Amino acid sequence: MSIEAINITKKFGHFTALNNVDLEIPSGELVALLGPSGSGKTTLLRIIAGLEFPDSGTVRFDGNDISARTARERRVGFVFQHYALFRHMTVFENIAFGLRVRPRELRPQRAQIRAKVQELLKLIQLENLADRFPSQLSGGQRQRVALARALAVEPSVLLLDEPFGALDAKVRLELRRWLRQLHDEIHITSVFVTHDQEEALEVADRVVVMNEGKIEQVGSPDQVYNHPASPFVYNFLGNVNLFHGRVEEDKTYIHDAATGHVVYVRPHLLDIARLPNGGSHFRARIKHINAAGPLVKVEAIAEWGDPVRVELPQERFRSLQLMKNELVFIIPKDVKVFPARKEMARAK
Amino acid sequence: MASITFPTPGLPVSAHATHATTERRWVRWTLIAVAVTFLGVFLFLPLAVVFSSALEKGFATYLAALREPDAMAAVKLTLIAAGIAVPLNMFFGVAAAWAIGKFDFTGKSLLVTLIDLPFSVSPVVSGLIYVLIFGLQGLLGPWLAAHDIKIIFAVPGIVLATIFVTFPFVARELIPLVESQGTEEEEAALTLGASGFQTFWRVTLPNIKWGLLYGVILCNARAMGEFGAVSVVSGHIRGRTNTMPLHIEILYNEYQFAPAFAVASLLALLALATLLAKTVVEWKARQQSAEWEQIIGEAV
Repeated sequence: MSIEAINITKKFGHFTALNNVDLEIPSGELVALLGPSGSGKTTLLRIIAGLEFPDSGTVRFDGNDISARTARERRVGFVFQHYALFRHMTVFENIAFGLRVRPRELRPQRAQIRAKVQELLKLIQLENLADRFPSQLSGGQRQRVALARALAVEPSVLLLDEPFGALDAKVRLELRRWLRQLHDEIHITSVFVTHDQEEALEVADRVVVMNEGKIEQVGSPDQVYNHPASPFVYNFLGNVNLFHGRVEEDKTYIHDAATGHVVYVRPHLLDIARLPNGGSHFRARIKHINAAGPLVKVEAIAEWGDPVRVELPQERFRSLQLMKNELVFIIPKDVKVFPARKEMARAK
Repeated sequence: MASITFPTPGLPVSAHATHATTERRWVRWTLIAVAVTFLGVFLFLPLAVVFSSALEKGFATYLAALREPDAMAAVKLTLIAAGIAVPLNMFFGVAAAWAIGKFDFTGKSLLVTLIDLPFSVSPVVSGLIYVLIFGLQGLLGPWLAAHDIKIIFAVPGIVLATIFVTFPFVARELIPLVESQGTEEEEAALTLGASGFQTFWRVTLPNIKWGLLYGVILCNARAMGEFGAVSVVSGHIRGRTNTMPLHIEILYNEYQFAPAFAVASLLALLALATLLAKTVVEWKARQQSAEWEQIIGEAV
């Protein structure tokens, strides 16, 4: 089922959570709403679910206006960050809840409910934990139960609010891959909220980047990462070095004072050399080296005094044999230049 | 109790108790003695006196005092008043906690203050309020008299006064509990297709059941033991408008000590039963909230 949010505005007191937001989610896609806290992503998700109502704007499912419908009538599956499992019910009862509260004429037979729950327990690989209570499960298991509970009512769309936010790093990684696989199997239109860019880029078909109640960019992970539409997107989707710059006849000059443009360059798109190679380069002094991890992180001070972060592959680092306090040349391999905006001054 | 092995075997722990929070021996024993004496004189002794005085003239007199028609009527009236007041206040308390704990609205803090009013008003004043409203010279008195409805110096007045005085117990117990539980489970139930009533019955109520029971037990104890407000509205008509506490007072004022203490022993037994029930429920509630804490603790 496709989802459309048209002209959505929502205020909480004086705080504008969403400011005229338009979003279209095609049927069957897995979409990430990505943004920092306070960007409005969870509010947008809750408005789609009917748990929150916008001050103005329309929500459509498959082209039908469902703005006036309650959460109960929208038939969405909603997964909460802190699971929201019914703590006095077993795993089995939790998953069966949505089927058991149906009006008598729509309620499946006891045996049918049992079969459906068993099927879902199999899907989430927790068949032998059906009689446990939520307090007896690990975080990852609880979140899978929450997902099964949401899927039990065969929802038209699946909405997940920071589904992995409360889990530790390793479980989070497993569970998000599992979610991707699950989506490839059942193809239900799914929207999940996250503030973790890695998670969004890895799991989603499309990423919606949000900031301060507005959508900054919508695109495939490749598009938003490699072709960011705004400085915010570039900044949010990875580590970045910020320099003041000036553009003249297709050439960018880096400056030490505020100028008309801001130059963005990711740490792994900077190289270090002992000699200038004739192309773009600037000088810097190495301050700190951290060789743990797949990339070696080098912190340096540029000739105009700003700190610079460089990430080098391990082989490159070993062949260079860099030392602390050494004077080197830094060579940008790719930069993004955006006109300076007022907020960038603040961001810096 | 788990046993703990100390690195120097053979030495009792207290022998080298140089713990920062441990006092010297005589200080400890003095403090313990003071506490035990205080508890003994002010709590255990009165309780013992109630039972010993009740049985002073033998078990037969004790039973006769309880079987006496006026005493039976007092017990019955107390049970009626509590039987009406407690379920009503249970209903009001759950409704208030649900509204205050789950929703935001203007006037919320005013409502919370109002719920506390019976706690802060002297019970005698609470009784007087009803006399001023429903009494013969009161606000609604002439109208009630014209329609032959008796509230003051009758059972309805006693029930009303009891409801007023015990109003905050359930609500006070539930509001913080409901607030701490948040609304996520209810939202989950709604997205799963549950109606408002189903959500309340299947999700909210089971989550607060121990707190509710605790509030009800306290409410009941107070409803049966209430003296001041009931005394004002009752009129002390023997066999008709006397509750147990009022009956005890009358017997006592008539120097019928053994019967007075016999009826008092019933109230004392009620208190003991209440304490026992309260302990069990508290223990259950703690278990439930520990599970809840665990879920939240791991989640955050």
